[in-house]
Amino acid sequence: MKRLIDAGLEQLASMLFRMGELAQKTVSLSVMNYLEGTHNPAQVKALSETLASMADPIEDTAFEIIARFQPVASDLRIVKSYMKICYDFRRYGRYALDISQIYEQIGGIGECDTSFRKILEEMAAETLNMVGTSIEALKKHDAKLAQTLSKMEQHVDKLYYDYLDKLIQTTATTGCTISSLLVVRYLERIADHATYIGESVVYLATGEKTTLR
Amino acid sequence: MSQDDKIEVKKLNIGFGEKHVIRDLDLKIKANTVTAIMGPSGCGKSTLLRSFNRMNDVIKTCKTTGEVFVSGRNIYEPNTNVYDLRRQVGMVFQKPNPLPKSIYENIAFGPKIHKTAKGKNLDKVIEKSLRASALWDEVHDRLHDSAFDLSGGQQQRLCIARALAVDPEVILMDEPCSALDPAATAKIEQLIRMLSDDYTVVIVTHNMQQASRVSDYTVFLYLGKIIEEGDTKAIFENPQHELTEQYITGEFG
Repeated sequence: MKRLIDAGLEQLASMLFRMGELAQKTVSLSVMNYLEGTHNPAQVKALSETLASMADPIEDTAFEIIARFQPVASDLRIVKSYMKICYDFRRYGRYALDISQIYEQIGGIGECDTSFRKILEEMAAETLNMVGTSIEALKKHDAKLAQTLSKMEQHVDKLYYDYLDKLIQTTATTGCTISSLLVVRYLERIADHATYIGESVVYLATGEKTTLR
Repeated sequence: MSQDDKIEVKKLNIGFGEKHVIRDLDLKIKANTVTAIMGPSGCGKSTLLRSFNRMNDVIKTCKTTGEVFVSGRNIYEPNTNVYDLRRQVGMVFQKPNPLPKSIYENIAFGPKIHKTAKGKNLDKVIEKSLRASALWDEVHDRLHDSAFDLSGGQQQRLCIARALAVDPEVILMDEPCSALDPAATAKIEQLIRMLSDDYTVVIVTHNMQQASRVSDYTVFLYLGKIIEEGDTKAIFENPQHELTEQYITGEFG
C-alpha cells in the first residue's frame, strides 16, 4: 500500500525532473548557439525565464510535504536535496542566459585563434556532459554515477586554468578573448553546479555528506 | 558502567509465560538526557521501560533474567527494596491517573509514604514539584480543589509533579501524551526537555515526530531486540538499518 507521502514525493520528483530536462535543453542550446554562431537569444531567454518560474511551485510543494507529512530519513533527505537541486537548475538557466547575452553584446568565437577554440569546445563538451550526468544521476538516485562528476569537474577546472594561462600569454585583447573569457567562467560555474547536484544525489541516496569538487 | 551512564542494561531477557518479549538486550542510557524508545506495537517497548523500576514484577507470569543497573546498582539483586527503587525511578503513564484527592494531596502522597517531608517542608516540596512540572501558576490558588477538576493535560503534569515530589533520579514515561490534545502535548513536550536538566528521562512513544522533537537519543526496538540506537538527529536523518528506515518512514508498523 502506498504511503500518503508517496504521492507528494512523486509529484515533487516529476516537477523537478521536468525542470532538469528543461535546464539541460537551455544550457545545451545556449552553449551550442555560442560555439556555432547560430544565435537565438529570444529562445534562450524564454527558456531561462520558464526555468525561473518553475522554482517557486517546486519549493511550495516541498514545503507542503514538510508541513503535512513531517518526512524523516530518506524522505527528508529527498525533500531537502530536491530543494537544493531546484536552485542549481535555476542557476543552469541563468548561466545559459548569461552566455547568450555575451554573444549578443560582444560576439562569439568566430574570430578566435584555433587553440582558444579547441580548449573552449572541449570545456563546453565536458560541461554539457556533466549537466546530462547530473540529471541522469538525479533521476536514478544513482550515487555512483553522481560521484563520476568529481573527475569531470577536475577536467573542466584544468581546461579553465589552461585557458587562463593561454590568455595571459596573448598580447592582443579582442572581442573574442573577452567574450570567451566570460563564457569559460560561466561554463566553469555550470560545472560547479553539476557537482553540487551530484553531492545532493549522493546525500539523498546514502545519507553521506560529501564534496565532489 | 561509565559515570555518565544512569542506566545500564546487560543481557536482559523478559518473558511472560511462554512469550519471550525482550531478548538478550544491552543498552546504556546517559544521565540527564531524554531517551526515546520506539518500535511497533508488541515489540517490547513498555516491557523494557517497566524493567527499569521493576514494574513487571507485579505480573505473576513475568520472568526476568539479566541485569539492570541504575546509578551503578543492579536493581534485580534480591535485596533491592522495590519501593525505594520506584521512588528513585518514577513513572508517568499513558493516561493521567490522579488519585481521587486534592491537587495538594496527590503530590503529598509520595513524600508522606516515604516519610521524606512533612509540615512546612512538605509545602515547599509541593510548590517545587508543581513549579518543576510547569503547573504552579495554574493551580497555586486552588491546591485543595479536586485533581479531577483539572484538564487532561494539567492532570498529566500533576502526575509528573507527583513523580518529582519524591526526588527521583529517573523518570519513565509510557506514551505520556497519547490521551492529550496538541496544546497539552506541546506543554508536556516542553516540560520533558526542561526536566532533562535535572533528571534522566526515558520515554516510550508511538509518535515518531514526538520522539524526534523531545529526545537526545533514540532506540528502535523490534521483536524484543534493539535494531538501531543513536543520536536522534542521526536516526531520523540517516538511519543505518533498513528496518529503522522502513519503520520511521511509515512503511510498516
